[in-house]
Amino acid sequence: MQHGDNIRVAPPSEGETATKAGGRYLYCIADSGEKARLGPVGIDGQEVYTVPYKDVCAVVHDCPAEPYQSTDAEVVKGWVIVHQRVVDKAWEKWGTVLPLGFDTIIRGQGGSGPQQNVENWLAADYQTIKRKMEAVRGKAEYGVQVFWEPQVIARRIAETNAEIGRLEEEIKSKPRGLAYMYRQKLENALKREMEAKADECFRDFFSRIKKHVCDLRVEKTKKTDDDRQMIMNLSCLVDGDKSTHLGEELEAIDKMEGFSVRFTGPWPPYSFVGA
Amino acid sequence: MEPTRDSHATLVDLLDRILDKGLVLYADIIVSVAGIPLIGVNLRAALAGMETMLKYGVMQDWDERIRAWERENRKERELPLASGEQVVLKMLGSYLYSQGIYTSWRQGYFYVTDRRIALYLLTFGEVLFQASLQSIKGLAMRGGKHLSGAEREHLCLLLESGEVARLHASDSRQLRQAIERGMAALGLTWEEMPAFAMYDEKAAKLLTDGEELACAGKMWHLMALPTPGSVITDTWQSGHLYITNRRLCWWYDFEGKLAFEIPLETVAASTVGIRDVSSTLRQKRVFDVIYETEAGKKVASFSGDGLAEWEEALNRIIARQGTPLGEETDTCPQCGQEAPVNELLHKGCDRCGWVSPSVKKEMLRATAAG
Repeated sequence: MQHGDNIRVAPPSEGETATKAGGRYLYCIADSGEKARLGPVGIDGQEVYTVPYKDVCAVVHDCPAEPYQSTDAEVVKGWVIVHQRVVDKAWEKWGTVLPLGFDTIIRGQGGSGPQQNVENWLAADYQTIKRKMEAVRGKAEYGVQVFWEPQVIARRIAETNAEIGRLEEEIKSKPRGLAYMYRQKLENALKREMEAKADECFRDFFSRIKKHVCDLRVEKTKKTDDDRQMIMNLSCLVDGDKSTHLGEELEAIDKMEGFSVRFTGPWPPYSFVGA
Repeated sequence: MEPTRDSHATLVDLLDRILDKGLVLYADIIVSVAGIPLIGVNLRAALAGMETMLKYGVMQDWDERIRAWERENRKERELPLASGEQVVLKMLGSYLYSQGIYTSWRQGYFYVTDRRIALYLLTFGEVLFQASLQSIKGLAMRGGKHLSGAEREHLCLLLESGEVARLHASDSRQLRQAIERGMAALGLTWEEMPAFAMYDEKAAKLLTDGEELACAGKMWHLMALPTPGSVITDTWQSGHLYITNRRLCWWYDFEGKLAFEIPLETVAASTVGIRDVSSTLRQKRVFDVIYETEAGKKVASFSGDGLAEWEEALNRIIARQGTPLGEETDTCPQCGQEAPVNELLHKGCDRCGWVSPSVKKEMLRATAAG
């Protein structure tokens, strides 16, 4: 029960109840045993501080033992940005962090308060935490998304693929009913070729990118808001200064006709600290 | 190439990470981990909404404009009345709207006035259905199934056009009484329980066990009929076309039976084209269904309203039915590559190396045993 040592807008009532400061919102685990305050920089202006155990600490703020929830997207967006800012601050200060996902809250349970539970958890998972900390030390995460313009690629396939070229020629001389059937045939053939091409590109880019990263995760491709199609979505764990090499490789891909690359980061290693 | 972290442009990337990733605690002292149902569900819905908005480049201004427009247009308005028209009843209800193959119950307020019955959508000021009391030739109560499966009573109006309107109100009988009183006041007569066939009742009889109706609607069909002198000529006949999850069939109104019926597997293609359908009906839209028979390919021709929708619906149903089980494709949960479901489940993804948890377990067991 250590709620008394924190500045709070509304002081908790006697004991830590579920509706007052019965929880600790977790931002990240940092590579330091320091007991420190980061100031009122947390969600809703909460005071952010560390809960140390041995040579690591949890970066937290006090909150009720309830998840943050809102149906207002602007509110949620604000929370997520604040979460990221706190993780960034800790990352800058202590060099290595294990970031947590949004809305991870530890609550009190039985005889032990939330603060105690944070410490208990750090103690129980200490080995795992240390192992993960070593795995990401001095590294950062980057997002790499490769897109292509289907029209450009399709045109090139039509120019170079004999079967598709032949089908296109044949359609011109067919009556309307048959032309319809042929067009479907053509579309199917083109779809097959596009898929094969996407696969080939994926493998090629994957092997080129792999050389410059310590680890990577293949993410789901997503729909775009323009004509482009995402054919590759990677999260890459990159060693300190190696990001320039990765950037050079991506630049080469970005310059290919019909292709473009989105390169984001550096992010805290969100994708490499999970199970 | 330099990586970017510009906070506006990369918000989606940030969300992807903060929402779905990060260090995970497996402990019962956790209040909420995004991803646990019930607790996180509101939040995720809100985020998903925003993410989609961002993905589609929906801008703030637009959002503001849309919301302002919506506020303006959602102001409730009463049904506009003719001068001297009196409302005798206003009641929440719905009406079975049917257009081509599209049917749905449309909800609004029934207004019974001294002249007409109308179903009105207050929020958008739209008249969904209306009929003058003079045009009503008969009224009947019929049992019907609601989408929820519950039985409920519908008020059916037989109109002078021959159409049957199916209505449902919070109190259908009271609605009926109000209409009847209004008609009596105008000195009109009507049939108590007119005999009329409901299209969907007819369809219900056609269906075999486990068969589901996907589309139904009025449709002309080009039939080969012997004419006097025994010359077989193609003539257009009126009837109803039905597509179920198994068959495509056409009900011949004149003889009151199915006159055409093929299993969906035999459908090879369908097209909508414009051509002369007879010496008098020129340049009409025709829906041709090409199907396989033992004697080779044949064409069945239909014509009516909403042909493009019919074509689309048929293609959609065939696409869904046509793939034999197990050969459907799905996307790899890790990299999103398309692959047959069976392959994904039992072998894993050949691109990124993802394997299903059950395969993983299997492999672990095999290595442990070995």
